[in-house]
Amino acid sequence: FVGAGGGNDIQWCFSQVKGAVDDDVAEADIISTVEFNHSGELLATGDKGGRVVIFQQEQENKTQSHSRGEYNVYSTFQSHEPEFDYLKSLEIEEKINKIRWLPQKNAAQFLLSTNDKTIKLWKISERDKRPEGYNLKEEDGRYRDPTTVTTLRVPVFRPMDLMVEASPRRIFANAHTYHINSISINSDYETYLSADDLRINLWHLEITDRSFNIVDIKPANMEELTEVITAAEFHPNSCSTFVYSSSKGTIRLCDMRASALCDRHSKLFEEPEDPSNRSFFSEIISSISDVKFSHSGRYMMTRDYLSVKIWDLNMENRPVETYQVHEYLRSKLCSLYENDCIFDKFECCWNGLDRQAAFPTDVLLCSSPSCSIVMTGSYNNFFRMFDRNTKRDVTLEASRENNKPRTVLKPRKVCASGKRKKDEISVDSLDFNKKILHTAWHPKENIIAVATTNNLYIFQDKMN
Amino acid sequence: MLGKGGKRKFDEHEDGLEGKVVSPTDGPSKVSYTLQRQTIFNISLMKLYNHRPLTEPSLQKTVLINNMLRRIQEELKQEGSLRPMFVTASQPADPLSDNFREAQPPFSHLSSPPLLPTDLVSTMPLESCLTPASLLEDDTFCTSPTVQHDGPTKPPPPALQAVKDSFSSALDEIEELCPAPTSAEAVAADAAAEGSKAHPSESNIHRAEGLPESRTADSKLMDSLPGNFEITASTGFLTDLTLDDILFADIDTSMYDFDPCTSATGAASKMAPVSADELLKTLAPYSSQPVTPNQPFKMDLTELDHIMEVLVGS
Repeated sequence: FVGAGGGNDIQWCFSQVKGAVDDDVAEADIISTVEFNHSGELLATGDKGGRVVIFQQEQENKTQSHSRGEYNVYSTFQSHEPEFDYLKSLEIEEKINKIRWLPQKNAAQFLLSTNDKTIKLWKISERDKRPEGYNLKEEDGRYRDPTTVTTLRVPVFRPMDLMVEASPRRIFANAHTYHINSISINSDYETYLSADDLRINLWHLEITDRSFNIVDIKPANMEELTEVITAAEFHPNSCSTFVYSSSKGTIRLCDMRASALCDRHSKLFEEPEDPSNRSFFSEIISSISDVKFSHSGRYMMTRDYLSVKIWDLNMENRPVETYQVHEYLRSKLCSLYENDCIFDKFECCWNGLDRQAAFPTDVLLCSSPSCSIVMTGSYNNFFRMFDRNTKRDVTLEASRENNKPRTVLKPRKVCASGKRKKDEISVDSLDFNKKILHTAWHPKENIIAVATTNNLYIFQDKMN
Repeated sequence: MLGKGGKRKFDEHEDGLEGKVVSPTDGPSKVSYTLQRQTIFNISLMKLYNHRPLTEPSLQKTVLINNMLRRIQEELKQEGSLRPMFVTASQPADPLSDNFREAQPPFSHLSSPPLLPTDLVSTMPLESCLTPASLLEDDTFCTSPTVQHDGPTKPPPPALQAVKDSFSSALDEIEELCPAPTSAEAVAADAAAEGSKAHPSESNIHRAEGLPESRTADSKLMDSLPGNFEITASTGFLTDLTLDDILFADIDTSMYDFDPCTSATGAASKMAPVSADELLKTLAPYSSQPVTPNQPFKMDLTELDHIMEVLVGS
């Protein structure tokens, strides 16, 4: 990438990889979500086995100025357990669909994690001191014989090995008939929304026994159902505005001030279909798998099967930018339909604010101002980045072969047709079982987390 | 199938055809379009009906596959209605557009000739129905059908085809074995049949004869079974297809439950163990009736026979 400041390419280097080495992937270890917290110090992953693993960035060593802090395991806990729906005789998966961090208000950290049916608020707190020297108790907790107590002493806090505890503070259950696909915390930091295939509910973080239904697209006759909700997100600044995307490639923006039930959208974003690209699979590949607002809230980004689109909230009839992620798959759609890959839900993310910039608000000096780069995953453990300013893109690979820290990742290229050049990979050689669905970008630094099936890769930009 | 190290086929061919809109009137492309549509239809059916997961299937996936099937069904219907006319009339409403949303709810199709899967599937020769999609992937899929029909693209589908592929004959077998009860009907039949073992045979006959009625009842019953309905909602759209009833309905096991202790007929009545002979005697009168209405029932008898043998160990 060439920044506006001139000559500041981001060169991505391998930093770390977490997870099992062997090729045999245990189903429970499949990573299902990745999310940095608001400061970037913590990185949370959820997996199919219902576990949450949080990594913490170690404080930067002044002597090791050539690399940013490494991420090490901070806390691991079982967030959700498998359940059984007796009415339908079906299992409820414990897979963590989404994790969202709350902004930090005190010493503890809070996050929301959700599976298909239940959302939980977890408190992660540190304990590094413990009271010692009780007057009435022995060190092991047994009460002393009162007759032996002859003096008075007050317990004091003494340091202990750091212990990180996770405890569920709220459980928001029984509000969703269908599978929850999104949760989004409101900018008021008091409420949040949860969306399933047909409904969106509004919750208060303190109240678990009721929620408000704000969108309901379930038809009276289920046979008429042709469209489902695929993702939803609150606007980053306006606490009454949210958007939700559909399986037909539309995004609806709703204002909760307009009515209690936001079934009528305020804006409808939809791009008319390109007739030259029409096929049997047009609808399926138009289904939006992720939607993310930019930090300012002026733009939003959507991911469908083959592309990433940037929308200006002021223009509903088409996106302002479209980036092709893997257009070479367009001629393979029938096979991808057969093996179900066409239903893969890729996520997308914006870059954060680059800390290296001297004046982050000054675009001219910023090497990569916030929300100028988008990142998304593909197959064969490839992931892609698009620079909105330079219009350049790059394909990188997350693999253990590029294992040496501070070696710059080599850009990859897929050969769509014609003669395959050296180092290029032909479409038929792509491994469609190696998919990168979840990626995350540090909010303040050029550090990215990329999840392959069961491994988490962390890449950093090369600091000079 | 796509995988590692597969040889690429038709490189030059693909370069030329990629992205081009090809009209289905071009001889080979028209056939390939139909072939492709057929393949996609088969794949979609397989996806909906073969998948029995332990967890609830993804509603989004089901809806998308359903929409695909509906679209193809609409297209075929429109092609079917246009077939007698050779006139190159104005292009019918694009099947891929909103018109398919106006497809009537499946259960209102009782009077009109239903589009059985056999119609759609059996018109193609046996081998081509299961063409691996990978063979088709280099061909142009990016075509929307235009109206031009030089003539019938395939023989008008009669109710039954002489040549049936394995899939449609499997469907027929299943339908014959289990004349479509709904789960609620099955439960009602169970309750009624508990006391006397002769009743299930009656209800079986009723079910076989009452197929059309049961289908309208189906829609109401489906509504009243929220759990089942949620799962089978989108799968029930194919008109005549009672597969969802078969696959998702409770199997009537009243005939196989011979344990007198578990019979629900109330403690007062005498619990006589039902022997295989007695059971066959009660069913015997029905076997002498004409073949046609009892065709499905005869299969039940054979099954029952077999099961009785296994249980009694004779």
